[in-house]
Amino acid sequence: MNKASAVESAKKLQLLRRKSLVDRFPYLYVLPATLMFVGLVAYPILWVVGESFRGANGKDFVGFGQYIRAFSDPVFWRVLRNMLCWGAITIPVQMILGGSIAYLIERHTSRSRTFFRVMFFLPVVTSVSVISIVWAQMYAPYYGIVQEYLKYIGVQLTIAPLGEPNIAIFALILVNIWQWTGFSMIMYIAGINNIPSELFDAALIDGAHGWNLVVRIVVPLLSPVTRSLLLLGVIGTLQTFPIVHLMTDGGPDHASEIFGTYIFKQGFVIGDTGYSSALSALVLLLALGLSVLQIAVLGARLTPQTRKSAA
Amino acid sequence: MTAQDRGIALRRPSFGFYAKIILLVLLALWMIPEIYMVSVSLRPPDKSFDPSLFVLPITFDNFATVLHDNPLYKFFWNSLVITLGTVLVVLVAGSMFAYAASVLRLRRTTLIYVTLLTTLMVPVASIVLPLAIMLKSFGWINSYQGLILPYAALGIPYAIVIIKAFMDDSPRDLFEAAMIDGCTTLQMFSHVALPLVKPALIFVAIWQFIVTWNEFFLALVVMNDGEHKTVTLVPMQYSGMYMANPGALFAILVIIALPLIFLYIFVQRYFIAGLLSGAVKG
Repeated sequence: MNKASAVESAKKLQLLRRKSLVDRFPYLYVLPATLMFVGLVAYPILWVVGESFRGANGKDFVGFGQYIRAFSDPVFWRVLRNMLCWGAITIPVQMILGGSIAYLIERHTSRSRTFFRVMFFLPVVTSVSVISIVWAQMYAPYYGIVQEYLKYIGVQLTIAPLGEPNIAIFALILVNIWQWTGFSMIMYIAGINNIPSELFDAALIDGAHGWNLVVRIVVPLLSPVTRSLLLLGVIGTLQTFPIVHLMTDGGPDHASEIFGTYIFKQGFVIGDTGYSSALSALVLLLALGLSVLQIAVLGARLTPQTRKSAA
Repeated sequence: MTAQDRGIALRRPSFGFYAKIILLVLLALWMIPEIYMVSVSLRPPDKSFDPSLFVLPITFDNFATVLHDNPLYKFFWNSLVITLGTVLVVLVAGSMFAYAASVLRLRRTTLIYVTLLTTLMVPVASIVLPLAIMLKSFGWINSYQGLILPYAALGIPYAIVIIKAFMDDSPRDLFEAAMIDGCTTLQMFSHVALPLVKPALIFVAIWQFIVTWNEFFLALVVMNDGEHKTVTLVPMQYSGMYMANPGALFAILVIIALPLIFLYIFVQRYFIAGLLSGAVKG
């Protein structure tokens, strides 16, 4: 709707003038979102923190007992190592792949642009539970197509990727990269389109071409997108659950255990609410700490502010 | 352009040509899992364990079998109700909050806004246990509201960020004019503010739809009877049952994946439009 018609319709409303409840209590506008935050986000967080100081049954007070237990639990350190691996690989790989695809699409295609934009984004839209079963079948020994096609490039896979303790986490990371690269791509597409075209033209006139243009002009101008992808990537890493739960369930023998699966096992399978809560509080602390750190130090945003910073 | 330049262009394809080749090769690799999914679903039982991407002849028997044997429509209905319910709550509550913070500029809304934003940094895994216990005490396990409300609570902050950014960019004088003309705040909300941020609302609706439809962790914990399961829980349920018959299992996967893929292809125009109109910025 344009400006004129908006004013038009606003004027029509004079006829319907009537003081409503929200006019007398304007905070009613804020109420639904705030209430849902308090009840379904803030309260659960406080509950988890409170419960983390209690025993398995949720009654005895054990102080920092559950935290001490976590720090002496080898599986906890395994989880931390796996999460570090997960973030350190998926975030940069998805950025570089997604960014390159976005740049190639936006700079060098015209009629096929929509086609490429849609196709690379399809894994994001495909249900993760579907993806997990498809990939598990692809990784399967004997009849999986991964080992079959690796033969053609000279790699003889003698193990099942999901069954090997040292490999499993990397096999899962590959699935994550495949699913989420399209998301990085779409964010970079938004970023590239927000770069003012005069900046491009000026750079071209100044003789920047090809690789030079990318490294000197495009990459720095897209840094707001990169920073928000880093922020979203760290949170996303700590959020990871379905891929691991469905494909290895943290196995074999906790080798691919992550926060999601370990908390789920402790809380819902074993029923140890105290330990599950302590693990929850730790992942929460990690997520909030790393996010605040990035926002404060890097000026990262949850959504990139490309246009304003480019201007 | 001189004749010499044109000559070079004729002899050597431009980088744009190579770019398209690179994209096509990459895309072919990228599509392997999706193609494999469809391929297995179209195989006769004796070929389902064949370790190649394409297998002939194709058959639609698997689809006939699974559609005949299983009430899959039930799961689609559950997902549809929960997803549309969530999108609606997110749009209403999110735009109301954004309006109060950006247009009405009520006192302390900035503080509340920043507090709400911490939601975006909370991993679902960390609050899933208390949520399950809470929902159980309300008797909301295996109910639609048991998923709609937590999904909405987790989705609203992002909606607020997007819608508020859009409202912040709208011309102030429009609202001032409406105020002088004697609009109530509610009229100004529905007839001035909402139409102005329509691209943002569409963007939020599409993204929230995709995320909610595919959500797994909370659905797993909240929906544990067969009547209320959402489609994301279905593959897990059938993977044991059809272990020896991947063709049938993959037919179910295709049936689950395709609707959302088609929906996205249908609405991607509006999604990209929202994205490029500046929906994605702080």
